Order: sequence, then C-alpha cells, then structure tokens
Amino acid sequence: MTIFKFALKRSFSNTTNIIFLTLFPIACIFLPNGEEWPFLPYGYQYFGLLILFVGIRLATIILEDREKGVVKRLAVAPISHFQYLSQNLLAYSIILILQCIIVVYGGVLLGKELYQPGWLFILYGSFSFASLAIALAWISIYRNKDASFLVYMSLIFIIVVLGGLLIPIEIFPDLLKRVAVIFPTYWLAEGLKWIVFSEEILDFLLINGVLWLYTIVFVIVGSIRKIN
Amino acid sequence: MMIASMQGVVKRYGSQLVLDYIDLDIQEGEIIGLLGPNGAGKTTLIQTLTGITAFERGKVELFGQTENPFSNQNKEKIGLVTQEITVFEELTAKENLQFFAGVYGLKGEEKKKRVAEALEFVGLADKGGKMPTKFSGGMKRRLNIACALTHRPKLLIMDEPTVGIDPQSRNYILEAVKKLRDSGTTILYTTHYMEEVQSIATRVVIMDQGQIIKEGTVNELIQTVQHEEKVKMDVTDPESVPIHSLEKIAGVKKVIVSGSQITVISAVHSGNLDRIISIVKEYAGVLGIQADKPNLEDVFLTLTGKHLRDKGGE
Amino acid sequence: MRVLSTVKFTALRMLRSYIVLLLLLVVPIILLTVFSFILSGAVPESGVPYINETSMTQVLVFQLFGGSIVMSLIYNDLFTENKIRMYALPFNQTMYAFSIMMCGALFSTLLGALLMVYSQFVLGVMWQNWLWMIYIISLMAVLSIIVCLIFTFSVKNFKIAERLSEVYGIGFVVLAGLFFPMPENGFFDFLGSYGNPLTLSMGAIRDMGESNIGDAWFQANILLGAIIILFVVMLILGRRKIG
Repeated sequence: MTIFKFALKRSFSNTTNIIFLTLFPIACIFLPNGEEWPFLPYGYQYFGLLILFVGIRLATIILEDREKGVVKRLAVAPISHFQYLSQNLLAYSIILILQCIIVVYGGVLLGKELYQPGWLFILYGSFSFASLAIALAWISIYRNKDASFLVYMSLIFIIVVLGGLLIPIEIFPDLLKRVAVIFPTYWLAEGLKWIVFSEEILDFLLINGVLWLYTIVFVIVGSIRKIN
Repeated sequence: MMIASMQGVVKRYGSQLVLDYIDLDIQEGEIIGLLGPNGAGKTTLIQTLTGITAFERGKVELFGQTENPFSNQNKEKIGLVTQEITVFEELTAKENLQFFAGVYGLKGEEKKKRVAEALEFVGLADKGGKMPTKFSGGMKRRLNIACALTHRPKLLIMDEPTVGIDPQSRNYILEAVKKLRDSGTTILYTTHYMEEVQSIATRVVIMDQGQIIKEGTVNELIQTVQHEEKVKMDVTDPESVPIHSLEKIAGVKKVIVSGSQITVISAVHSGNLDRIISIVKEYAGVLGIQADKPNLEDVFLTLTGKHLRDKGGE
Repeated sequence: MRVLSTVKFTALRMLRSYIVLLLLLVVPIILLTVFSFILSGAVPESGVPYINETSMTQVLVFQLFGGSIVMSLIYNDLFTENKIRMYALPFNQTMYAFSIMMCGALFSTLLGALLMVYSQFVLGVMWQNWLWMIYIISLMAVLSIIVCLIFTFSVKNFKIAERLSEVYGIGFVVLAGLFFPMPENGFFDFLGSYGNPLTLSMGAIRDMGESNIGDAWFQANILLGAIIILFVVMLILGRRKIG
C-alpha cells in the first residue's frame, strides 16, 4: 500500500491543500443559518462546493504524476495501473469521508439543526465519491495541472448555480429545472431538501443511486487514460 | 580594439565568493570559449559583464566606457543568448523576434528585414508563424539564439547555447556561430563541450571556483599539459603482465590497469612505445592500441580536477 | 520609447491567455445568462429589475480577479529565468512593468465593458450611466492589479502570491455578504461597506443611478484614495525587487 501511504502524505504536503482539507470544513460548521433558504445552515448548503474543490485538488496529484512523467516510471514497476489508481482513490476517499465526519458530527456537537445527521453523512459521502470520480475523469483530458484546475473551477461555479445549490431551484424557469437534472449538484441539493423534509426513503435511495451512477460512469471514463 | 574588459571583479552571494578578482579582456573579432565545471562562475561572469548582476569590487569596461558601461547605448550593441530558453511562449517565433527587434530600436521595413534574416539564419524561416510550444528542443534553442541576433550585435554572449539538443541542431548552431565570427561579430561562448570550443574558439578561458585559472589558444593550453603521452592497450590477460617491468621503462610515469585495459602514461617525446609494446606482448595478447595526445579535455581535467562537484547554479 | 514597442506584444499575450478569458469573460457571460433566465421579469418594490443589480454585481465581482494576468506576466518576465534576458535589453525594466500594468488595466476594463455590452444588448439589462460604470470598473481593475503586485513583491513564493490574490477576491465577495450574511458588528460592517472595494463600487454605481452624485463620488474617491496609497506601497516594494 505504498501508493496509498504516499497519496495521503502528498495530499497534505502543500499549504493550500492543508487549508482546504482542514480549516475550510471546520469553517463550514460555523456559518450562520439561512432565513427562508437554505433550509440547512449555509455551511452545509455550501459544503458540496467545497467537496468539489477538494476532489479536484486531490485528483490533480495524479495529473501531476502524469505531467512529470512519474507514471512512466511506475508503468515499468511491478504495480498495475489498477493498483496505482485504486490506492490513490482510496486515500482521497478516506480524506473526503473524514471531512464529512468532521462537518456533520462537528455540527451535531455544536448543536446545529441538521435534522437527520446520519442520512446527511451518507448523502455527503455519496457526493464525495461522485466528486472524486468527476475530477478523475476531468484530469484524464488534461496534461497541465494548473489549466485543468482553473477550467474546472469555472465549471464548478456554473454547475453549482445551475444545480440549485446557490439559488433555490424552485425559482428557476421550467427549462432550467429540466436542465438541472443532469448535474450532480442538483441531486445533492435535492438530497439536502430530503434531509430537512423527510419524505419517502425511496427518494433518498434514488438520489444516492444517481450519485453512485455518476461515480461509476466517471471512474470508468477517468481510468482509461494511463501514461500520456 | 578592446570590446569589453573586466578588471579585478569580485562578486559574492552571501559568504560565498563567486567571482574572485576576475581579469578578462575581450578583443574585437575574437571568439572566446569560456570553459568551467558547474558552479565555476561562468554565468555570474556573464551577468556581471552585462550589468544584470551588480558586483562588489573591480571595474567593467564596455565599448570603451568605464563611467556608465551598462547604458542602454551599450546594451544595444550586446546580444545575449541565455542558458535557459527565454522566449515568450504566447507569441509566435516571428512575434518574439519582432518584440526584441522593437526593443533594440528597429522599425518599419528594417525591422521586417532583420526579423526575416534572423529566422533564415537559424533555419526557422518556415516556422515563423508557429508558437514555441510546438517546437522541438533544438528549434527552441535556435529561436533563443535568433532573439539575440536581430539587432546585429557587436558582442554576442552565448551561455551554453547547445545544451540538451540533438547533434544536427548542435551542428547547425556551431556553423551559424562560425558564420557570425566570419562576419566580424565578437563572441563570448560558454559550454561544457570541448569539441565545440576546439572547433570555434580563437581563445579559451578556463574558469574554476570563481577564478580564471588559464587562458590562451587551444594549442597554447595543450602545450601546458603536453608533458605526458598516454598509450592505452586492450590485452587478453592484464594480470599476467608485470606492471613493475613497465614502470621501470625510461620515461614511464604511471601505469594504470582497468579491466582489460592497461594505460601507460609517459613523459612527452619519451620514444618508449616499442619497448612498452614488446613487454606487454611477451606476457599477453594485445587486442588493440590507442596512443593519445593531450587534448583540451585533458587540459580541462588536469586544471580543474576529475572529481564531480555538486555546486548549484552559477 | 522602446517600452512602447512592447505594448502590442503584451496585449497579444493577454488576449491569447485563454484561461483568463474563460474565467473573466466566458464564465461571467454564462452566469449572467443563467441569472437573466432565473430572474427574468422579476422586479422588486424599487422598480429596478433584479437582473440589473445582479449584473452590476457580477461585472464588479470579476474585476476583483483582474490583477491575475498582470501579476503572472510581470512575474514571468522579471522574476523567473527570463529576467536575465529582459535585464540585458536596452530599456527601463520599471517602465516595462508599468506598461504591463496599464495594458492589464485596459484589458480588464475592456472585459468588463464587453460584459456590459452583452448584458445590455443580449439580455436587456439597462445600464444607466455607461461612463460612470466604466470609470468604476477601471478603478476596480487598477486596484486589483496593484494589490496583486503587492502580493507578488512581498512574498518569495509566487504560488503564495497567487493564493493571496484569490483570497483578496473571494474574501471581499464573502465579506460583502453575497454568499451568506456576515455577523453584525463594527468590524464586519466596515468590511461590508467602506472597507470593501466591491461594496464601495456597487454603492457608487447605485448612488449615481439614483442621482446621489455626492455619495457616488465620495465612494469612488475612497477607491481612488486606496489606489493612491497602495500604489506608493507597491512602488516601494517593487523598487526593491525590480531595481
């Protein structure tokens, strides 16, 4: 599990990552409540945005390996591409899940109204995996780490708005409501609503199912590119 | 006429002495090959000569001026080819040259003409519209050189211009340097490649640890170590050859056995080659013989030592 | 002046920076379009459509990030290995840096103006005072450039300077209360009003639109004052670095 160990080390090796991975999730816990919207405190509404950022920051470690040619060295080492990828993704998943635990259970400890923290944790977990998978697929089409990150940032802003995470989807015109369904952020926003209004469990399973579908599809897409 | 001169120049980085009382004169029309191991101070010498880096002591004179040697007027007469590729990646090859030509005061038709000439000179005439990001390493190096040529400098300083490129590109660049030499440009050329210096330099300066330790023509420098001759023999069974017998031969200074090769170092003009061979033949089969005369590499290694020194950038 | 001959190439380099164009032009256009769909026709009690206020906010928000291209070019040309060639050239390197700043300010202002054109002629947003709006945008652009350069000159590691410039932009957006309400106390109130270039510029434009000319100029002049003070700071720090 050498790759796994070093993926964890490298994730915390630069200051920006440390801030994203530690301070920002903690800061989310302390953001105020909304008035009419969002239904959960602001930090929990925007945590999805942070998960997307963290996902790409972690995944670009793999891109850095490709950019610097380290993957070529690994390609002739006794380690398969599957092992390389899975160990990296395992490390990043653990980091994201830990963040979700801190945010959810930190909020519980501080007395934040989270309605159903257990389900909230599961929702964030599903979204974390989807975010990692999308980031993995994204970096597979890039060679340059900085360009990939900056363009992805633009994309994040757009899908966060269009998915109903920054503005309630109820005020969207019909066309945009229909378009929103394709974005993973829409499903996160729907999941957050479910947490608050406690509807049918099947709806929650559907939401998580869609997020896992994103995960599977994008992991497959992202796993194809190996060396170059 | 003297184009440039450094007298007693001293430069320190913190407590590290990088240039130690450097005295160097550059005459018009000559090509000076500046040799030295990594960390010798070659790049710092270039940077102090061109005013990029300040120095603590000494004097620099450029084009007869000591009062303000690094004036823009003097800079217009200098072309600098940097060790790293320092072109604008966001501009095409032609635009890069237009940029530098404009900074050197060229305008209008004259600028267009010089840009075209520079591209032609470095063999990139048909690549003017392409971005440097699409170039190979050799092409980038050639563009790097072209950027220093549009204004036809009187003094061209080239800091390791052929590092990391293929032999064809390297050859092209050396031929271009020879053409520049023939057109009267004075050139200061630093390199690690002895054969480049031997091929183009009219004078060689050897630097080490911030000091100029030797200078002269290639032949003059070789003379200084031409006190020994080397004979290398590949033999079938080197262990059977009595080394002490070889060492006793008149003129032999040293015998080195390395694998299946025996090297005998003798004083110059010893005339002992036939004696050496006859002794070796008596005890082992001789597979091959190579008699080396000293070359610039021997001069360099003799003066600067054979050990690697891992100093950082100069 | 030799430096003038470089301006065309600086402009070309900026225009070819596709990531900057994506972040400061394409993304705002998409967001403006999305918001105009969402808010189309919605009018509060004041009578000014929500989309007008949102568009103004967006145009100004993206000006907070306009300094990034300038800091990147100046760092690349005068602080990396390229500086060796640049310092051997027969021109004044400080003036060259200024020329990049001016190009950057024009570039950022132009992008802001393009967003205004797009929002007016495609999305139907009515800008009341174009000249005033362009003036405020240019103040924001210049301020962002100066702040970014202060970061570049003050820290050794350029990556940290880049992060700080992002903190400047995102920080003031957050402090303006655009993401979530800020705590109500003197400190945050100040940083959400007179201590925040975003709120100052929004206020200046709003007040000019409501014919509160005195208040509008007051807020614009605070921005101008900040620019002058920070310009001096930037000069002092830059002199040490550029020479």
